[in-house]
Amino acid sequence: MVEYTKIEFLIACASSHVKDGEMVFGGTGMPLLAALLAKETHAPKSNLISEAGFIDARPREVPLSVADTRYYYGCSASIGLIETLGFLLQAGRIDVGFLGAAQIDEYGNLNTSYIGPYDAPKVKLPGSGGGNDIASSAKRLIIMMSHDKRKFLTKLDYMTSPGFLDGPGAREKWSLVGGGPEIVITDMCQMDFDPDTKKIRLKSVHPGFTVQDIQDNVMFNLIIPEDVPTTEEPTQEQIDIMHKLDPNGIYLGKGG
Amino acid sequence: MTEAEIEDKCITLAEAAKMVNDGDGLFWGGFGYQRAPIAFAHELVRQKKRNLTVYTCGSEVDLEIMAGAGVATRFEIAFSAIEALGLSNNIRRRVSEGKLEVEDYTNLAMAMRFLGGALNVPFMPIRSMMGTDMVNLTRYRGDDKLKVIDCPFTGDKICLVPSLQPDYSIVHVQRVDKLGNAQIDGIVGEDLEGARCGKKLIILAEELIDTAEIKTRPDQTKIPAMYVDHVVILPYVAHPMMCHDYYDYDLEHLMTFHQMTRTEEGWQEYLDNFILGVDDHYGYLNLVGWENLHKLRATKPWGY
Repeated sequence: MVEYTKIEFLIACASSHVKDGEMVFGGTGMPLLAALLAKETHAPKSNLISEAGFIDARPREVPLSVADTRYYYGCSASIGLIETLGFLLQAGRIDVGFLGAAQIDEYGNLNTSYIGPYDAPKVKLPGSGGGNDIASSAKRLIIMMSHDKRKFLTKLDYMTSPGFLDGPGAREKWSLVGGGPEIVITDMCQMDFDPDTKKIRLKSVHPGFTVQDIQDNVMFNLIIPEDVPTTEEPTQEQIDIMHKLDPNGIYLGKGG
Repeated sequence: MTEAEIEDKCITLAEAAKMVNDGDGLFWGGFGYQRAPIAFAHELVRQKKRNLTVYTCGSEVDLEIMAGAGVATRFEIAFSAIEALGLSNNIRRRVSEGKLEVEDYTNLAMAMRFLGGALNVPFMPIRSMMGTDMVNLTRYRGDDKLKVIDCPFTGDKICLVPSLQPDYSIVHVQRVDKLGNAQIDGIVGEDLEGARCGKKLIILAEELIDTAEIKTRPDQTKIPAMYVDHVVILPYVAHPMMCHDYYDYDLEHLMTFHQMTRTEEGWQEYLDNFILGVDDHYGYLNLVGWENLHKLRATKPWGY
């Protein structure tokens, strides 16, 4: 049996959603490692892009910032923000983007801006950055979040980035370029979206968790299909490659 | 053949910051960890500037310094945090205290606002933000934050963002000549549009090179001299952030900074030691230590 940490599991899981030949907005952290892992395994022709301007990146060390020079070495082009978020993303040329969030609702809308009321916020979060741009215009979105009941809400404190907004037809009404969220990966499960109602639905449960665990840890009615498989575990090869990509454990953790 | 008399645009950091008036608006260059004009933020603090509005996509330590020291009271930005380390503690506190107002846009929206300003048109259309609270909720800009309209040509919904022509653009680059021809290595972020949208442009550069050297690599000149009003030459302008091909970020200092800003007392201690406690940028670099700075110098061919 392969032994793995939670972070390794999530990275391998996220990586499986990147297809070969795709244009991917990677960012930093776990999404970056997931995109790099995909490139080293099943998706060698995928093209990793950082919104700061790096195109077709294959860094030799993991960057801490989307603008980190570590992204430069090995990339095919180094341009700027209008290039990546404008000419590539808004023009509909990006297949998949990764996003995280502090809160998500049942339509996959995301909050990365404020906790508490807008007029007197308890916590000012980082804001959209390129998140809303990516959620608006990437063909598919992969969302990665830590699973905490208080983060899975019916009403967000602030809607920073669009999922399916208020349901079927809403993205079309606002002429959004991209297709919206495809999958939500947490440390307990994977969720996707019902094609008819655009509402979030359980897709698979990670080893060690039950369907009941998931239902107990969301604050909305999660659609539960009849058949809920167990999420596939990472292979030893995937774990080894991850540690070659991040030998100092910047994102994998020292003990990893 | 007559040679034109060469204009020297070089001034000191103190002279450059002195031109900024209380209440002015600044385009702020750099992106994330890259080419942040930290030295200029320090000097604005030392000169006790007040009520500035800062316009940028995503900046980190510099925004924290300007918010924390009370230099800036308004931000029009897309992002602030210390990537990989955590939230912007000073900004978080100043927002909660009501001392800082943040008008939220996206990275593309801000870049398009700078492009619109540089092109001298009043607004730019973009396809982001629609359907979300970024449209519905505004602070001091009110209805002038943005408009969602039906496109007059297609009838589809489109978002219009107002262009920006701030009082000054502050941009940090690798190399410049004394005429102001500025060369940037690595990514440009939103600095091409940002440099061209301000009423005046101040360039901070790590290295002064001769115009003859500029002309050996004109493709690297991302901001030609005609846009540039003033030039300031200083080493390690971005410390503790990075400058592509010149030096890496100073992770230890960055972590100390982030740790100290967790409390108001900690931040005040940092402010007193590293910014107010020194006379100028060289005083700051002396405090950080030249041995430490030397260790950050970029290694070829990696650029960091």
